[in-house]
Amino acid sequence: MEHPVRKSLLMWLLLSPLVILILFPFAVMVSTAVKPRVEVLMYPPSWFPSEIRLQNFVDMWHATRLGPAVMNSLVVSIAATALCLLVAIPAAYAAARMEFTGRKLFRQFLLVTQMLSPIVLVLGIFRLMAKMGFVDQLPALVLAYVAFNLAFSVWMLQAYFQTIPKELEEAATLDGASTMQRMRLIFLPLAAPAIGITAVFIFIYCWNEFVLAMTLLRSPEKSTLTLQTFSLVGGRYQVEWDHVMAATLVASVPVAAIFALLQRSLVSGLTVGAVK
Amino acid sequence: MNRARTPANGKIGRASAPYLLILPSILFAFWIIGYPIYDMANMSVHAVNRFGKTAAFNDFANYQRLFSHQLFIGCLIRTLVWTVFVVGGTVLLSVPIALILNEKFFGRTLARIIIMLPWAVSLTMTGIVWRWSLNGQFGMVNATLREFGLQDTPIEWLATSTTAFPILIAIGILVSIPFTVTVILGGLSSLQADVFEAARIDGATAWQRFRYLTLPLIRPFLNIVLVLNFIYVFNSFPLIWVMTQGDPANSTDILVTWLYKLAFRYGELGIASALSIVMFVILLALTITYAALAMRNERSTA
Repeated sequence: MEHPVRKSLLMWLLLSPLVILILFPFAVMVSTAVKPRVEVLMYPPSWFPSEIRLQNFVDMWHATRLGPAVMNSLVVSIAATALCLLVAIPAAYAAARMEFTGRKLFRQFLLVTQMLSPIVLVLGIFRLMAKMGFVDQLPALVLAYVAFNLAFSVWMLQAYFQTIPKELEEAATLDGASTMQRMRLIFLPLAAPAIGITAVFIFIYCWNEFVLAMTLLRSPEKSTLTLQTFSLVGGRYQVEWDHVMAATLVASVPVAAIFALLQRSLVSGLTVGAVK
Repeated sequence: MNRARTPANGKIGRASAPYLLILPSILFAFWIIGYPIYDMANMSVHAVNRFGKTAAFNDFANYQRLFSHQLFIGCLIRTLVWTVFVVGGTVLLSVPIALILNEKFFGRTLARIIIMLPWAVSLTMTGIVWRWSLNGQFGMVNATLREFGLQDTPIEWLATSTTAFPILIAIGILVSIPFTVTVILGGLSSLQADVFEAARIDGATAWQRFRYLTLPLIRPFLNIVLVLNFIYVFNSFPLIWVMTQGDPANSTDILVTWLYKLAFRYGELGIASALSIVMFVILLALTITYAALAMRNERSTA
């Protein structure tokens, strides 16, 4: 038998190149975000600034109008997540629990729409939103995000729903519970963890999305967080990298933290969905 | 009663109920995804001006102009190179990483969290940070290489056509690893330990156990990961857009970035819609492959 400490060291050694590459951008973000501006553009650059300037975050917050962008991202992501679940849960229930002609076709339909990415359809979506007068409106983003998350959500949820035993609901029916009561008191509480995990995935997608936001939004005050951060870099001669890195930190740390905390359940959830 | 014995009994067993439940999702998909596809297909076979007004049917002239465009072949080849190298590199690296993470060792949970981390960060942010890190003068990549004595003169990684594309491919691999490792780990955790124990007792070496037991058993998972990654990477837009926008001199343009420029920068709506439809067809073919694999997988695990 191998020695556990030696084995652990070996494992970490094997993983170390990848671990370094993954943590490298985070180190760069932190290092640049707290540097005094003169040191950001100093040659040769150094990892360690002469002072840790947390004031950068405050300056950045005002200079880059990040606050409204965070609000827009929150509103869009929450609205899209809620609407998507509202449409997906009934469909997933039907796909998981009911026998009907066309069930297989519906599952194939889900698989096909799951594969389509916004970038291939972005021209058509832009024209559709323009026709409906939704360009530069946040609801346009909500609608598009729901559409691109529906298939994934229905797929994940139905895979979970199949693992919830039917017998409880059947017993409740025998005891005279109505459909609504059965849903509210038995099924939904049991399905809550699955719905929660699916919601996290939809939320992260919306929070991080870029192509649709860049295409459908025009005015800076409507910008979402990714778009606003990109606008600090794209098409500028003078990029204020200390502000940009502070902004990327603010944008990515909360999501990364949620992800790290929920990592175990997110991963197991996804494998249920991927394999089923 | 016969009805009570059907799988979905009670009120929800009424024939129309399942259709009512799936109807909103279908309507949504037809509205936001189906209509744009129809609209672009329609636009792609008509003459269209830069404001999107369509005129007469033009005999597939948009497709002819697309295929004979001087940038088309280059973008197509780069898309293939990009997709094959990113997907191939990702899967080749992810299998050993998943094998390591499947072992028991101190700090495994932490290692798993770190390796999943790039997944949570948006590609846009990742692209922005790497663009800054790769800056020739002030970037920390050059600074770090110099500190270790690996570099004499600073390299402008993203402004040099020989380095820009390989760098993008490397970062593409880096961000695709978390999802891939996750699915392969799922496959590894479904394996039964006693089979491996038996093989070990029978004298199979570690390599033999991997080659003749692990690999065939996780095959379905590898298939899924290959096809899904192929589709994701083929469609991957933000990394390249944020880091190089296809520059220098179109040397990092792939079909999706070129498509975006055609549609929203050059106003070539006819060519852009034709390209969208071509890509849609390619994706559809891939999806059908995936569906066939997934269905086969479902049957074999059922």
